[in-house]
Amino acid sequence: MPSKQKVATFLRSKGFQILLISFAILALIPVLIRDSFFLFVFTLIFIFAIYAASWNFLSNSGQGSLGHAAFLGIGGFASAIIGSRLSVAIIITLKVDTMPIGALSVLLQIMVLLLGGLLSAGIGLLIGLACVRLKAWYLAMVTFGFSVIINTLSSQFDSFTNGIYGFAPAIFVPSGFPFYILVISFAVLSIGIMHAVMKSRMGLAFRAIHGNEAEAKMIGINTPKYKLIAFTISTFFAGIAGGLYVYFIRFVDNSIFSPANSFLPLIMSVIGGLGTVSGPVIGSIFLTSVGQILTTQPVTQGLSNTLGPFFPKVGYVGPPLTYLFIGVILIAIVVFSPKGLESLFRKFYKYLVS
Amino acid sequence: MDITAGTILLTLVWGIAVGCIYMLLASGLNIIFGVMKLVNFAHGQLLMIGAYATWAISVASGLNAYEAIFISMALVAALGVVVERLTFRKVLGTEKLNEIFVSLGLIYIFENAALLLWGDQSQRIVSPFAGLSFDLTAFSITYDRVVAMIVVVAILVAFGWLIYRTKIGLAMRATSQRNVTASLMGINIERIYMITFALGSAMAAAAGGLYGIIFTFNSQSGAMPTIIAFAIIILGGLGSIRGAIVGGLLYGIAEQMATLFLGGIWASAVAFALLIAVLIIKPNGLFGEKGE
Repeated sequence: MPSKQKVATFLRSKGFQILLISFAILALIPVLIRDSFFLFVFTLIFIFAIYAASWNFLSNSGQGSLGHAAFLGIGGFASAIIGSRLSVAIIITLKVDTMPIGALSVLLQIMVLLLGGLLSAGIGLLIGLACVRLKAWYLAMVTFGFSVIINTLSSQFDSFTNGIYGFAPAIFVPSGFPFYILVISFAVLSIGIMHAVMKSRMGLAFRAIHGNEAEAKMIGINTPKYKLIAFTISTFFAGIAGGLYVYFIRFVDNSIFSPANSFLPLIMSVIGGLGTVSGPVIGSIFLTSVGQILTTQPVTQGLSNTLGPFFPKVGYVGPPLTYLFIGVILIAIVVFSPKGLESLFRKFYKYLVS
Repeated sequence: MDITAGTILLTLVWGIAVGCIYMLLASGLNIIFGVMKLVNFAHGQLLMIGAYATWAISVASGLNAYEAIFISMALVAALGVVVERLTFRKVLGTEKLNEIFVSLGLIYIFENAALLLWGDQSQRIVSPFAGLSFDLTAFSITYDRVVAMIVVVAILVAFGWLIYRTKIGLAMRATSQRNVTASLMGINIERIYMITFALGSAMAAAAGGLYGIIFTFNSQSGAMPTIIAFAIIILGGLGSIRGAIVGGLLYGIAEQMATLFLGGIWASAVAFALLIAVLIIKPNGLFGEKGE
């Protein structure tokens, strides 16, 4: 147990203050801008920020994954299934019509999300055991393969998962502002914890492995053990993000395991800035808002009216143009600014200061 | 469904026919990897574009589908040159991950450009042999699958001749062994890279034409073949041509057998399970040399 003094130093530490301040700022934003679409996009941004940060954390330990959607999906399905069973049990024992919403239900929601994360981490640990010996594209293929296999298993055991037609999870926290607060609490804590781990002795080992695995092994780091730990932590947070995502959009089906969802955190991390704390958040802000704004009704309608005649074969040009644009941005970032938007902002800031 | 010796034999032959297409795709990917040490995750999207190009050419000009394949190979090779010039050349020699990121960007661009140009309806190339099949006593097999096997073997033989009997092939092999030394011997390695990428793209386009004759396709059809081609060359060992051929056949047969015995949804899962099992036992593939 940490002593009283340690807790006191932690409360006075800079990291804790940054956590509190960022939480306060984020919580204030929707109070200032009262708009339901804005709140929707912002909630989604921070759910994906956790997801992208979990991928970024994995890449910091010299590993990668092209199948992270497997863990997003496991977290989502697990928390949705556990939550539904739990709410049915509560409704039966209390003899009420619907699930009562209050402080207790928020606690239950948090517990269910953590359970989803733990299950995801457990499966992540098993898959990680197969992955620690593999490198680069071998690892990319195997992780991708696992996401395909898990998707197939979810279809096969449909009577348990209901993944083919999908289902809506029970409601514990009302949508809108309360859910936003839940999401940003998780986002600030998750990103804070991952950052703290990277700053710790363990994080030093991760960075040594990232730098050069053979050398890390030579100076006595147990590389398989640390790679496995990094994989497990990353899949835990990916599972949490999955749970939040499912409870936020109030629907889950097998499409959550899609390759597009696997590529998402990678693209966010790269666009934002690989290996930095703010990179995944910046990437998520950029990609989620671009994706959401370009696919809203007025914008899609406008795009269809102006560009539609050039592409007579498709009824809607908004979504494909959005993804085309994302592809171009991704390549442009990798070619011209490999450190992502984060480094561009940094350069711009230096230019302003000087 | 009854599983008789005939159905198993038929599935085996189907597996070989499908495996031939994957083999061609994987060989294209493998030559690019072997010479340039470059991982192009958008290789299957070139197959999809090749299928669309073959379809568009044969619809627009009324050419025979198998003739249209050769024109589409030339077009996709040109596309490959442009892609190599504008994107991959800029990140070659930097961090390995950058190549994966660039290919992901290319996947987004190719898939959505195809969707915008050709719509979201599935297409199928009409073959001159549509509806014709060889009737053997135990089973029957369509002409198209037999022709696909013949075309693949012909292309692979021509490819082998190019690699082992011509000066360009010699230069490619030299670059593949050690590019710095090759450039000291007077080989223009950037030109070799360009030719290699064009060659690999043309092979993907040929695979695409054959794929479009046997299966229906749409703008998303490139994703699975990419992954399968990777699975094959990883199964066979990166950079090994013999490995790609054996891997392609094994994969095609495993996939078709899984469909027969377990049902369609298991096809890719079983193939990946095979891949993962091989990699856990031999982290460098069946015929692979020690990795980098």
